[in-house]
Formats: sequence, C-alpha cells, structure tokens
Amino acid sequence: MSNMMEIKDLQAKIGDKKILNGLNLTLEKGKVHAIMGPNGAGKSTLSKAIVGHYDIEVLGGEILYRGENIVDKEPEERALDGIFLSFQHPVEVAGVNNAYFLRTAVNAKRRHEGKDELNAAEFLREMKKQVETLGMKPDMISRSLNEGFSGGEKKRNEILQMQMLQPDMIVLDEIDSGLDIDALRAVSEGINSMKDGERSFLVITHYSRILDYIKPDYIHVLKDGKIVHTGGPELVAQLEEEGYESLGEA
Amino acid sequence: MKLSDLKQRTASEILAAFGRDGAAAKSAETLEKMGLPSKKTEAYRYGDIEAVLEMDLTIASEPKPAEILPSVQLIITDGVVTHAPASVKLGYSKAIPADQGHFDPLYHLGHVASPGVWEIEIQDEVYLHIIHRFTKPTSLIPYRLAVHVTPGSHAAVYEQFIDTGATGSLVLYGYDLFVGRDATLKMVKNQTLDSGSYQMVASHRCEVGSAATLDLATFDFGSASALQMMQIALGAHAHVEASHLLYASGSAKRGTVSKILHIGEGSTSNQQAKSILGEKARGIFDALIKVEHSARYTKAHQNSKAILLESGAYMASRPQLEIYIDELEASHGSTTGQLDGKQLFYLQSRGISAVEAKRMLIQAFANELIDAVDGEMIREILHRDFDEAFYGQTRVECIETCHGCEEVVLNEGV
Amino acid sequence: MPQQELDKAVSGEYALGFEIDIEQDTVPPGLDENTIKFISAKKDEPKWMLELRLKAFEKWKKMTEPSWGHLEYEPIDYQSISYFSAPKQAPDSLDEVDPKILEAYKKLGIPLEEQKQLQGIAVDAVIDSVSVKTTYSEELEKHGVIFCSISDAIRDYPELVKKYMYSVVPVTDNFFAALNSAVFTDGTFVYIPKGVRCPMELSTYFRINALNTGQFERTIVIADEGSYVSYNEGCSAPTRDDNQLHAAVVELIALKDAEIKYSTIQNWYPGDENGKGGIYNFVTKRGICEENAKISWTQVETGSAITWKYPSCILKGDNSVGEFYSVAVTTLAQQADTGTKMIHIGKNTKSTIISKGISAMKGQNTYRGLVKMGAGAEGARNYSECDSLLIGDRCGAHTFPYLESKDSLGQVEHEATTSKISDEQLFYLRQRGINEEDAVSMIVHGFCKDVFKMLPMEYAVEAKALLNLTLEGSVG
Repeated sequence: MSNMMEIKDLQAKIGDKKILNGLNLTLEKGKVHAIMGPNGAGKSTLSKAIVGHYDIEVLGGEILYRGENIVDKEPEERALDGIFLSFQHPVEVAGVNNAYFLRTAVNAKRRHEGKDELNAAEFLREMKKQVETLGMKPDMISRSLNEGFSGGEKKRNEILQMQMLQPDMIVLDEIDSGLDIDALRAVSEGINSMKDGERSFLVITHYSRILDYIKPDYIHVLKDGKIVHTGGPELVAQLEEEGYESLGEA
Repeated sequence: MKLSDLKQRTASEILAAFGRDGAAAKSAETLEKMGLPSKKTEAYRYGDIEAVLEMDLTIASEPKPAEILPSVQLIITDGVVTHAPASVKLGYSKAIPADQGHFDPLYHLGHVASPGVWEIEIQDEVYLHIIHRFTKPTSLIPYRLAVHVTPGSHAAVYEQFIDTGATGSLVLYGYDLFVGRDATLKMVKNQTLDSGSYQMVASHRCEVGSAATLDLATFDFGSASALQMMQIALGAHAHVEASHLLYASGSAKRGTVSKILHIGEGSTSNQQAKSILGEKARGIFDALIKVEHSARYTKAHQNSKAILLESGAYMASRPQLEIYIDELEASHGSTTGQLDGKQLFYLQSRGISAVEAKRMLIQAFANELIDAVDGEMIREILHRDFDEAFYGQTRVECIETCHGCEEVVLNEGV
Repeated sequence: MPQQELDKAVSGEYALGFEIDIEQDTVPPGLDENTIKFISAKKDEPKWMLELRLKAFEKWKKMTEPSWGHLEYEPIDYQSISYFSAPKQAPDSLDEVDPKILEAYKKLGIPLEEQKQLQGIAVDAVIDSVSVKTTYSEELEKHGVIFCSISDAIRDYPELVKKYMYSVVPVTDNFFAALNSAVFTDGTFVYIPKGVRCPMELSTYFRINALNTGQFERTIVIADEGSYVSYNEGCSAPTRDDNQLHAAVVELIALKDAEIKYSTIQNWYPGDENGKGGIYNFVTKRGICEENAKISWTQVETGSAITWKYPSCILKGDNSVGEFYSVAVTTLAQQADTGTKMIHIGKNTKSTIISKGISAMKGQNTYRGLVKMGAGAEGARNYSECDSLLIGDRCGAHTFPYLESKDSLGQVEHEATTSKISDEQLFYLRQRGINEEDAVSMIVHGFCKDVFKMLPMEYAVEAKALLNLTLEGSVG
C-alpha cells in the first residue's frame, strides 16, 4: 500500500465552532505534502486532529493511519505508532531536563517496538551528535525543556526530538514561523535529512518561504475546513501571484 | 462610653447600649458570637485595635433631618446626610440585611451602632461626589451607607473626607455596596488623615453581580491611624480591580485588610497596593483572595510594594491565597524595601540632588496609581493631596492647576 | 485527564505500613506526674532532668492547644496515649539488636549495617521511644564528633545538654513543645567540635511501631565554631485506623562560622482516603545562627494525616544565613500547614525560602511563613518563592505569608503562584509517546526540582522514589 494516511470526510470542532467540514486528504508514503491556506482555514486544527489534541472534538469521518482508524486513540498511542507533530508553539516545562525528557520518550518508543532501552550514556552520545549537527548550543541538553529557549531554539529542539524519535509520519505546523534565515536553513536541513522514501511529511504553512527549502511533492489548498485544490509544486508560484482567492472549488 | 465596655455582652445588651431595637438584632447576635476584636484577632493583628476600643467617647446621634437640601454633592455631616443631588435616589432604613458572614466584627458593630442605613441608588451615567464631614470632638460617629448600582449602568463615586473639629473622635463608617449585573462602578476614595484629628475604622462589604465590574481605588495619606476593612464577593464573570496607595507618617498604623471572595465562575480580580512609610509609621496590607470550589476559571492576582523611608518605619504585608479549585490562575507578590539604588545614582549622575532624586522616585512610585484614576480633576486633587501629605506643602504648579477645593465646592452646594 | 485516572495516579499505596512483631515494653495510656517519673526512671536519668520535665509538665497543663492552623481534626485525647514504649531488649552492640528490628529496618530500606556503612552514613535508629542502635559512633569519635541518643547524652555529656537544651525552643514556646519537654523519650544528640567538618552524613531513622503510642523525640545538633555537619532524618509508621501523635522538638545551634544542613524525609502513615487513621505530626524545629553561621532546612513531607511544622531560623549573628527548602505533598485526605520563620536580627543577614506544595485528591496544603526583619537588621535580605500545584478539583492550596519589615535598608521579596498541571504540557509530553502517568510524574518532579537538588545525593534519590510512590501508585 502506498498511502501513509487517508483522511476521509473529517469533521471537527473546537468549542462550539465547527472548523473542519468534511476534509478529504491522502498522504502518500515517502512524499512531502504541503497544506497552504489563509488564516482561519483550519490548518492548525487539522494538525491537532491528527495527533489527538484535547481541544478538538471529531464529529465525523476517519483518519486512517496505515489503514487503521486512529480517531479514538490516545495521543501517546499515536506517537508510539510513529506520528510526530512539530508544534507551532512548543510549551515550556520548568524543571524537566531536556535530555531526561527525550530519553524517556525514546525509550517508551523502543519498548513499544520491542527494542532494548538505551542507557543514559548511549542516549547522550546520540543526542550530542544530533545537537551538534543542528548547530544547537551544548547546554540545551541539560536545560529545562524549552524553558527560556528563543523561538529558533524551540524549533531546533522540535527537530532534535524528531530525529531522535525517528517517526514515520511527520507533521510540521508552521515550522518556519519566527525563524531567521540561518535557523530556517538548519531546521530545513534537519528535516530534509529525514527523507528516506518511506517517511511522509505534512508541511502546514501560511507562507511559501519554507517550501523553497523543503520541496513539496504536492500542494493542497485548505479553505473553510476543506481541501479545495490539490496540485503539484507549480501551484506555489500561482498562489504567490494570485492569492488564495484565485483557487475556487477543486 | 468605651467600646471595650461591650466585651462579653449579650446581643440584647449591645442593642440596648445604642438604643436600637430588633431591626439590628441579627448583627448584634453575630457580634456577640464573634466578640469584639482584640490584638489576637487575625484581621487586627497589626492595627492597634485595643487602644481604639479604650477611647472614651460620647455617642453622636443626630436624627434624620426634616429636609435634605439639594446640592451638587452628597454631603454627610457626622453620619447624617444633609445635602443630596437630585441624580440619586436616597432612602433611609432602620436596617438592611447585613452580611452575617463578614469577617470583621466592627462591620457588625457598625450595623448595630448606626441609628439607620442611608440607602443610595445610583443609575446609569451618574457621577456621585460624596463628602464626609466630621465636626464633633471625642465622639463615636457610627453610620452606614447601602449603595445600589442598578444593573447595566455605568457610574462613578468619589469619596472625600473633611475634618472640621472632630478631634479625638472615632468614626465607624462603612458601606454595603451592590453592583448590579453588567454594571460598572468606578470608586475613588481620597482620605488625608493626620494625628490630632479623628480615627477611623471603615468596614465595607461589596457584592459584585454577574459580569459586573468594580474598580476601586483608595488613597490614604497622613499621620493618623485608620483601617479600611473590606469583603468583596464576586459573582460569575465579575471583576474587581482594587488599588491602594498609602503614604503614612508619624506613628500612624494605617492600611487595608481585605478579603476578595471568588464565588462565581470566571470571576477575576486584580489587587495592587503601594505603601510609602516614613518616620515611625506602620503600613498594613493584609489581603486574602479566596477562590471557592464553585469559581472555576478564576484569575486572581495580587501585589504589594512598599518603601520604607526611614528606620523605624514598618511594613506588615500579608498577601494570601486560599484556593479550593484547580482550574484557575492565581499569583501574588510582595516586596518591601527601599528606593532602587541604581535609579537614584542615575538621577544624581545627571546633577540632581540626592534629596530631589529621592522625591522624584517616590513621586513616580505613587503616580502609577494616581495616574490610573479616571478624570483629570480627581487626578489633580490626588496629586495635590499626596504632595501636601508628603512634602507638607502644596507645590506651586499644583495650585496653578487646581480646579477647586472642597470648601469652595461645599459652599457652592449649599 | 479524567478525574478517576488522576485519583488512581495520586493515591499511592503506603508501602511502609507493616508492623514490626517485636516484644514491646509499653506503659498504659495516660499522663500525670507518675508517667513522667516512670519515663525518667526507665531512662535512668539524673535528678535535674526529671525536675526539668516536671516543670515543663506544670507549664503544659496551663497551656492550650493552638487552633490557628488551617487544619481540621478530632480533638486529641492526651490521656489515651501511651507515653513510653520500647523494644524489650536493649541492645549493647549491633549483634545484640533483635534480628526482627534489623529485618524491619532492611524492609524500610535502612539497613543498619552493610549498606549505609558502605555509603559512609552514620545512622541512629529510633523505634517508638528508644534509640535502638547508633552506628559508626567510634569512627566519629576519632574526630571528636558526638553522635548518640539523647538519653546517652544526658548521662554522658550533661553540661552540653544543660547548656543547649531549651535554649532555642524554650519549654513554653508552644503547647506541643511543652508537652515534648515533659515526656520526650529519645532522639539524637550531635556535637561537632570547633573547626571540624563532619566526615560523613549523619542520619536518624524514626519509626512509630507500637499501638496507641505517641512519639516525642528531641534532637539537638550543635555545630561549634567553624564546623560543618549534614544531618538527615526519615520516618515511618504502620498502617492503623487510629491516629497517633508525633510531637518532636529539634534545636539547632550553629555557632560562629558554622554550618548545619538539616534534611528531613517525612513519610509517616498518612491515613486513608476518608481521613481515617494516620499520624498527627506537630513538630517544632528551630535553629539559631551566630555570626556568619548558616542553617539550611530541607524537607520533603509526604506523610502524616496532619502536619504542623515550621522549621525556623533565628538569624542572630551578623551575616548569618537561613534557608528553607520544602516539598509538601497532601493527597488522600491529608492536611499540611507548614512553612518557616526567618527572624532577622543581625546585620546583613540573608534568608531564602523555596516552598513547593502539591495537593491532590482531598488534600489541603497550606504554606505559612513569617519573615521578620528587626530595625537593627540593617541590609538584611529575604527572598521567598511559594508555588502550589493542584491536581484535581477537590483539593486546596493556600499561601499565607507574614512579611514584617522594620528594616529601611533591607529587602523582603515574596512571590507565589498557584496552578494546575497545564493541559498543554501534558499533551506535549504525550505527543512524544510518554504515557499520562509518567508525564504527570515528570512535570511534578520538574516542579520540585529546586528543592530536591538541595538534598544530599542519596536522599534525593529516596525523595524522588517516595514522591513517585505517593503520587503515582502504579508507577513507583
């Protein structure tokens, strides 16, 4: 089967407000899909629905991940099965050591996969390597999770976690927001290094800038809680020039 | 009489002492149960209440006047309303249903000792200027107001206090304030009180209705002792914004004891106290925020900042949180210290004398609360009164911009 | 997080609730002069000690139990408590200690022999009213360090005891201190001579075992000029339906340039979810600092049905330093009213207060702390930070600071926040594959980190494990 995820007629609300109105989307294995759309179109809601965020109430439809409907699964079950969300605004957790947190997560996944857990030394070796590659400061290893991190540091930390966890389905929610050009490059390189022909990527973005760095295979336009248009990379230029209004119903 | 004579007395004896009938019986019973405050009473821990109870006083009791004269302001002389503007509905009751759960024994005493309660109804767009005048020496002056702000209205009250001969008196004042649903009340209290004048324990209760807002700013200056006690209950989505500026000097024991009760869901409170203490003065900020189990999604914040100007000055700060629900946001902070050395140095390095630099910084510290008050004229008066209390004189620029003094206003009214 | 799951996660089983089956010598319940004479005779005390006890008893009879704590409990019947209970055989050496006691301490994770000795920690073990074994005394003697039971100290070092006992916590300090002064049975005595850095961690382990017995230990730690000591105490009790009273007194004396680090891991039996059973813990702990001295209190309070405890510092000497680091957990139906007093008397004295309160289920957690700066404490500094974490909507978290300053050159700063575990944080951790219970535990540990890092290494590990046990049931 060549599909990583199939979203069928997904309807979801936040509070009293219905945001996704029968959204259909198929994500292929090994491909990069970009979701673009105006503010309030439901981009973040889609990413939250995929990972099972507590804000979202799914009213109908299915999210099939490798053929299995995950709508009723706990967030950690989805994570252990290989779904990863890079948060738009990663939360700060005081007092929780970054390395300790990440080792707990990595070992939870290894246990889930029937692998041996990494001991502290093995884990740290791996983590240091990745920290260096991402151009992060070494003290990020021992600092509290995201606490006092700059916007760029937080995003790099998301990518670090992604690399350590080796997920199969990666959702990047506004990964470029608040990044300067150097950070954007480092983050994009981190993401691109994960491409292996198997993993799928869902890049959610308001601006096309990130797509210069992470080349999408497909562009989907999200409007009023639905995918209204799907096309190839050439769509980016069209959107740049003509805006979202130009694309009517798919 | 001395208030301490009422210790250990039964409710009916207390009523008899003030010549009251059954109308105030409930309050008398509550007072009997609670007993008079002593220095061991939590709320009076830092005030010198025992000395107050020992003051030898004559009970001032004036009958309700036959005629209340029209005036721009509401004027209350020795607890009796003599002038009132047409914009408010004024009534007089023997008693109102008091809050029997109020923490302050003197709130209940006030309800027993006051001959009656002045009921004031404030409607939309009303701006009420209340002048409290005290003229009688060595008297016990008990009186209470019940202020009703009608639902949905936006109103403002400015309270001012004038002493013309009330040396050695004790004023037991207080209001029961009801801010109706969706209403907004902005209330400013301005009281300069120096030693050699009267003493006051004001004991208030505020009920802020659903989605209503109470914006309460109090300004207390001077060298005499006084306490304001307040219990504020918040309904659903009600909000209170309370700020207290205190400048105390001499050997004053002055401050605020408050309890803000979050009862309704989504109620919010923000309380800020700033105290400047000179000479041997004691500042008190003893403020509890209680979040009941019913008050989910509460937001409550509290802050106290105090500056001790001289050794001998004393600040007792007790910000307190009592919380029975997890869905909330609450915090408090308190600092007691002195002016920022770095700021002082910066000003001095620009050629400003140490004395002037200090004054500038204290002024700035006080201004933050004064400048947050609505109404330019009131701000001017507050600036002037603070300056007068702090510098012992009115600054020239203040006289130039002064829009009128209370005596002038008073004469106009009459 | 659904309430049921949370409750499951925070109602950790009390693991130390077993009873040690040893022969006990217990006096019948009741308190009068004869009880006190009996205790004194049992301990072979000199006459002066008995006289002090009787004086204290006279004073206590005239005092009333304090009621200002944010605590609700059935009145204590002081006549229904047995004031003395001891294992029948008093051992002279470790070989003679009843094997059952050794077994019990092993079960508690406090092996008197191998393990702690390997770690180089000297242990004094107190069961009910008597000290059953003090290890390492000889090794310590070489450095001139005295580490023994208070009963031995009264016999062997009467001058030191007379000089310092009641010097920091006077007989009439409060109701419970007066009671303790009259009936205290054992406890630990520590003296570190001038200039000596105590070569190992000192530790006392307290265990209430007998039924209907109160525990009233008295501890004195004296650090002579320029010396240093780190002292730790732990406690536990069997699971019983009745409440048991623990009223200890601890006095610390840090002379010029000395430093005392005092850590407590309190894990008395907390009672059940309905408030049945559990220890009533009414404790008076106070230290005095002379010039340049430092006292640091660290406490992890997870046990007891009722906790009433304010480890305090009198900063008498110029430049002296007081510290208080606390984690207090109330779950089930536990109630804690705890905090500190920092009394600044000397010039340039400094104090730091870090308090972390965690409330879960029906727990009520109160921080009550006094910071007092006298007019003479020129340039004194205090910083307090009191944070509360609420887990579930039936618990309570209360913060009652008393900040009194007469020091126009000093600075008192206090900050407090109250919050619950944020949904956002919990979700973030779960999105990374960490299950809910582990995520809660991780966040709670993070919340307590500033306090745990003040504990000696071995005890930090113990404290973390204990916190897991208390809060997480199945995780522990």
